[in-house]
Amino acid sequence: MRKVTLFALSTCPVCKKVKAFLDEHNIQHEIIEVDTLDSGEQWLMTKELQKYNPQATYPTLVICDVLKGYDPELLKKKLIDAIASESNSS
Amino acid sequence: MTPEALYEILNNFAHQQGLELNKDKDFTLDIIRGLLKNEERYGYRSCPCRLATGIKERDEDIICPCKYRDDDIKEYGSCYCYLYVSKEWNEGKIPHVVVPERRPLRR
Repeated sequence: MRKVTLFALSTCPVCKKVKAFLDEHNIQHEIIEVDTLDSGEQWLMTKELQKYNPQATYPTLVICDVLKGYDPELLKKKLIDAIASESNSS
Repeated sequence: MTPEALYEILNNFAHQQGLELNKDKDFTLDIIRGLLKNEERYGYRSCPCRLATGIKERDEDIICPCKYRDDDIKEYGSCYCYLYVSKEWNEGKIPHVVVPERRPLRR
């Protein structure tokens, strides 16, 4: 199964929109709310996030691809493509 | 302070500067809750859409309204968080885009 990870901040309404989008479309995902971690974990997660998005901005959704911010049309396209490719391979 | 009380203050502040708050009030109140959360955590209202360090000197550029707000509104019609916007943005006369991070990269 394709891993979907959302790097988010608990205080960020745009991050919540991305999470709501994933929930609405029943996309299983892991969410990492970086601001709720302790400072050492924040540092580690920021380094991890920077592998995909060097600016480490929130929200960042990683689905074998990197999407910055909340653009519903782009999210839909990328996620539908991801699901279609998953079904074709199974 | 309640989110509603801060909303009223920021709404007046925005109008005094020829700006508006995002007309989606639920969304705007959620941003304001984030500002209040950060005030509780750090002692200042840092941008809820950016990870603060908790060290005021390092976060000064992202204390709301952030240093980048005016340039973002000028170029995109809204700030990075979509809290402060132009009248045209609220009226849908300009496209609502993902505002790129203008803050310089920090290592």
